[in-house]
Amino acid sequence: MSYIVPIGPYHPALEEPVHARLHVEGEEIKDAEVFIGYNHRGIEKLAQQKNFIQNLVMVERVCGICSHSHALAYAMACEAIGEIEVPKRGQYIRVIIAELERLHSHYLWLGIALHLIGHDSLFMHSWDDREAIMDILEEITGNRVNYGMVTIGGARRDISDETRKNVLAMLDKIEASMNVIKDMLLADKTVALRTKGVGVLTKEDALRIGAVGPHARASGIPVDVRKDAPYSSYDDFDFDIAVFDTCDVFSRVVIRVLENFESIKIIRQALDLLPKGAINLGYRIPKIKAGEYMVRHEAPRGQLCYKLVTNGTEYTKRVSIHVPTFKNAPTVPVMLRGNSVADAGLIIASIDPCFSCMDR
Amino acid sequence: MQTYHKHSITKEELRPTAEKLRAEGVPLAMIHAYFEDDGKPNVSYEFEVKGGIESYVVEGESVLPSIADIYDLGAEWPEREINELMGLTFEGLDVSKRLFLPDTMLEGQGQILVTPMDELIKKAHGKEAKE
Repeated sequence: MSYIVPIGPYHPALEEPVHARLHVEGEEIKDAEVFIGYNHRGIEKLAQQKNFIQNLVMVERVCGICSHSHALAYAMACEAIGEIEVPKRGQYIRVIIAELERLHSHYLWLGIALHLIGHDSLFMHSWDDREAIMDILEEITGNRVNYGMVTIGGARRDISDETRKNVLAMLDKIEASMNVIKDMLLADKTVALRTKGVGVLTKEDALRIGAVGPHARASGIPVDVRKDAPYSSYDDFDFDIAVFDTCDVFSRVVIRVLENFESIKIIRQALDLLPKGAINLGYRIPKIKAGEYMVRHEAPRGQLCYKLVTNGTEYTKRVSIHVPTFKNAPTVPVMLRGNSVADAGLIIASIDPCFSCMDR
Repeated sequence: MQTYHKHSITKEELRPTAEKLRAEGVPLAMIHAYFEDDGKPNVSYEFEVKGGIESYVVEGESVLPSIADIYDLGAEWPEREINELMGLTFEGLDVSKRLFLPDTMLEGQGQILVTPMDELIKKAHGKEAKE
C-alpha cells in the first residue's frame, strides 16, 4: 500500500526546518519531494538598506555555524569591486579562522550523524574534541559563534604568540584524538551497518545535479574552490583534496574525517608562515565604486557564492547569497529513492544541511 | 583574487550558450537576478571556470527560456527561486509545485503548527462537549 510520509518542517535529525514528503510503499521510499523557505528572514532585502560595514555584521548572522564564511565572502566581494589589496597577515588570519570553522563544523556534523545511528560514545568523543576548537576560537576572537574577525580590507584582530602556541597545542591534541576516532569509525560494525550502501549518490548524479563541497567529494568528484579558484593566499599552502568514491553515507563520514586532517595541516602552515605586518587597512574607510562581482568561498559544506552589485554609494544595490545547501539539497530525493523510511532522517542529514543559510 | 568577466547576451543567445558550455563540461555556479532602478530585471548566469567566474547576463527581459533541461536541477532550483521570489518567468520550467513553502500542507498534518492557539482551545472544548 502507498502512503505519503511527511518529515518536518521540524524534525529531531535536523538542526533547522525543512519539509520533505516521502512517497512510500511499505518501508521503501519510492519518491520524495523537498520544500524549503521555513526560515526566510529577508536578509538580502535588508542588505539593500544598510551600508557595507553594517552588512558585514548582518551577513555573519546568516548562519550560526559557518558565520565567518559569510563575512569573508562578503568582504572578498567588496574588496574585488573596490580593488582593495588585503595585507598578507590579514589573509593568513582569515584562513586560520576559516579552517578552524571547518574543523568545528565537521565535528558537529560527525557528532550528529553518529548520534542518529545510535553510536553515542563516538558522538560524545567527537563533540569533546569540538569543544577544544570552540575554546580556541573564543580565545582568538572573543566569541564562540559570530567571530567578528573580518573587516573590509583585512582581519579585525591579530593572533598573539601565546595564542599561536595554544592553537598548535590544541591541534596536536585533536589530531591524536582524530586518529582514534578514524580507526573506530572504519572498524565499527554499527557504523558500517547503518551507513554503508545507504543514501547513494552516484558520481553521474552528483555531476548532473551540480553537488558541491564534501558532498560532491564523497561521490568521487575532486572539486574544491580553495584549489580551483584560490583566494586569500590558499595557494601558499600544501594540502590535498580528500576524495572518496563509495558515494554513500559512509563515504560522507570518511570525507569529513579526512578533511579534518587537511584543515589541521593548513592551520599549522599558516601559523608557521604567518607574515609580519599589518592585518588590515587601519582607520582608512574603504571606498567601494560602482560595479558587480561574484566570489566563491569553500565553506565547510561546500561552495558559497556571493554576488554583489554596487552603485558607488555606501549602500549595496544587491547582495545575492547562495549557499552550498542550495546546491546539495536537490540531491536529497535522488538519495532517498530505494531506501527505507527509517534511514530518511540520516540521509537528509548526510548532506550536512544548513537550511537557515539556504533560506537567509 | 578570483576573476570575474561579464558578457552581455540576448535571451535568444542564452540556450545556445548554455548548451555549448554544458557540452564543454563547464559547471553552472548559480543564477542571480536583480532589478535595476528603473524596474528592469537583470538575470546573470554564472559559470565556473578555472580561477573564477564567467557571467552571461540577460538584461531587461522578464520572460526567459529555461535552461533546466540543460543543467538539470542545478538550474531548476535557481530558476524556481527567481520565479517565486521575483516574479520572472522561465519558459519551459515546471511551476506546477512550489519550491518555497508549499501551497497546501498534507491533510491536517503540519497545519496544526500554524493554527492559532485560541482555535485549538475551541476545538478541544468542542470535542469535549460532544463526548
